[in-house]
Amino acid sequence: MGNRTLPRLLQTPAVLLLLAWMLVPLSMTLFFSFIRYVLNNLRKPEWTTPSIDNWRGWGNYEYVLYKAKDFWFAVENSLIIVGSIIVFTVVLGLAIAVLINRTFPGRGIVRVLLISPFFIMPAVNAVLWINMILDPVLGLNGLAIGGINNMVASLANAPLVGWFFALWPVIEPISFRGTETSAIAVIIMVTWQWTPFAVLIFMTSMQSEDQQQKEAAILDGASTWSQFCNLTLPHLARPIAIVVMIQAIFHLSLYAEIEIVSRGNGNKNLPYLIGEFASNNIGAASATGILAVILANIVAIFLLRIVGKNLMD
Amino acid sequence: MSVLEPKTSFHRIFLPTLAWTIAIIFFFPIFWMVLTSFKTDADAVKPEYLFIFQPTLENYMNMTENYDYWRFAKNSIITSVFATAFTLFVGIPSAYAMAFNPSRHTKDILMWMLSTKMLPAAAVLYPMTFLTKNFLGVFDTHFLVIIVLSLINLPIVIWMLFTYFKEIPKEIIEAGKMDGVNTWGEIKDILLPLAWGGVASTALLCFIFCWNEAYWTVRLTTTEAATLSKLIEGNRAPEGLFFGRLSAVSAAAVGPIVVLGWFCQKQLVRGLTFGAVK
Repeated sequence: MGNRTLPRLLQTPAVLLLLAWMLVPLSMTLFFSFIRYVLNNLRKPEWTTPSIDNWRGWGNYEYVLYKAKDFWFAVENSLIIVGSIIVFTVVLGLAIAVLINRTFPGRGIVRVLLISPFFIMPAVNAVLWINMILDPVLGLNGLAIGGINNMVASLANAPLVGWFFALWPVIEPISFRGTETSAIAVIIMVTWQWTPFAVLIFMTSMQSEDQQQKEAAILDGASTWSQFCNLTLPHLARPIAIVVMIQAIFHLSLYAEIEIVSRGNGNKNLPYLIGEFASNNIGAASATGILAVILANIVAIFLLRIVGKNLMD
Repeated sequence: MSVLEPKTSFHRIFLPTLAWTIAIIFFFPIFWMVLTSFKTDADAVKPEYLFIFQPTLENYMNMTENYDYWRFAKNSIITSVFATAFTLFVGIPSAYAMAFNPSRHTKDILMWMLSTKMLPAAAVLYPMTFLTKNFLGVFDTHFLVIIVLSLINLPIVIWMLFTYFKEIPKEIIEAGKMDGVNTWGEIKDILLPLAWGGVASTALLCFIFCWNEAYWTVRLTTTEAATLSKLIEGNRAPEGLFFGRLSAVSAAAVGPIVVLGWFCQKQLVRGLTFGAVK
């Protein structure tokens, strides 16, 4: 034991740092969630500083869960955004991984092109998509739709076929700045960014697939589709679970994209709602924070179980 | 290999073409950003100049004047470099201890470390602002950003290093111990030379994560320590007036990282899945 004590002590700095990082702010949040704590309150100035005298019990939680109109909307919206992103990235990721898991000319370049979106910083991702690409007037969206309309309009004057194009309506580009449409914009941009992540992981896992089994299946006349369903998909069960849960955890705390795309238009998720509360009602922000922690932990327990399975061998 | 490589034209021509098309679609937004960055602000929103235009470098030349780019870039570099260094400084001894001298609790400690990564940052936003602003007086300093970036990346770094270290045969380290090498010597002279590749790719990934971090760097800074994330976030709605210059500064903010990413895509998988997929 003796000569193992020093080596083992080497992990203490990391443990202590993480312990402080987790415990100090979180216990403050927990405390604030049980007191009345409002930054700007002229009638009750005593509520503007945190103190045990302002104990409110479950009051903040009751306020958030039953009275604040946005909480359930934010939860629902968070789940819709996270759920859609996960479905799209996993389906697209599987399709693309199968497609490029073979040798063909320029495969290396295809990989490089595909992986690139994953390294774009979230702020740039959001600014790029919402302005340069999705803007209904000046973005590529608006310019392209405008181009189509112009083309249809000029074809309408053409002889013989003109009458056909004259029937076409003028297309209106979709604006992605409304409450619901901006949620769609967020889903598009995050799916774009995270599909490469799914592709990369599925492709790495597929390389360890049993090739002999596959050859046998082909010799037995199994179709490509049944090979995929009966051999590849079961082999990918664990990677798929990991991709789903890592994304669930990351996207539940999605922030920059919502802040940039949806500021002030009503589209919000839990982190954004916490940010809104935190500008004044710290008690409510903290209660929402604790509820978000509980939500994230439900997902985290499953993820940790899967990741930890083969850890020590 | 024979049966696995069907030679129909569907497989030889159609599937590769499809793969190329998808790759080009995925890369297109980045290409579009770079293309727009070479247009003047006026040309960037004119439909007649979509692909054919007079390229100009003026957006890149005026980056300092328009956005004070280098001040933010300097902050990004300083915070990411020091945070990566500090994370490795704390993480290497820790991963060494867990990989070569595991105890009954090592697995639990690793799991617990990872679970800290799963706390939603927003839940502790106000306490962090409160502590750093009113209590410690470190709000909007490089020091604070470096510490926070280190702490949020420490679990991933330890996990990655742990999976790399565990691939090194224990006997090599034990042999060093027999020869009377002390713990510091074991790490410096035996472990690090052997695990050099793993440590390097861990550092690279940590650097990328630090550079792209967009919650704490935005919420815990105002001007002094503001990084590129904060710069771009602050220019979120240019209303079409400045697409050219905004594209240039965005391209300059992500360019180095995308190129770094290309070089570490193989190691990326391990880091992103906490070693569960290798």
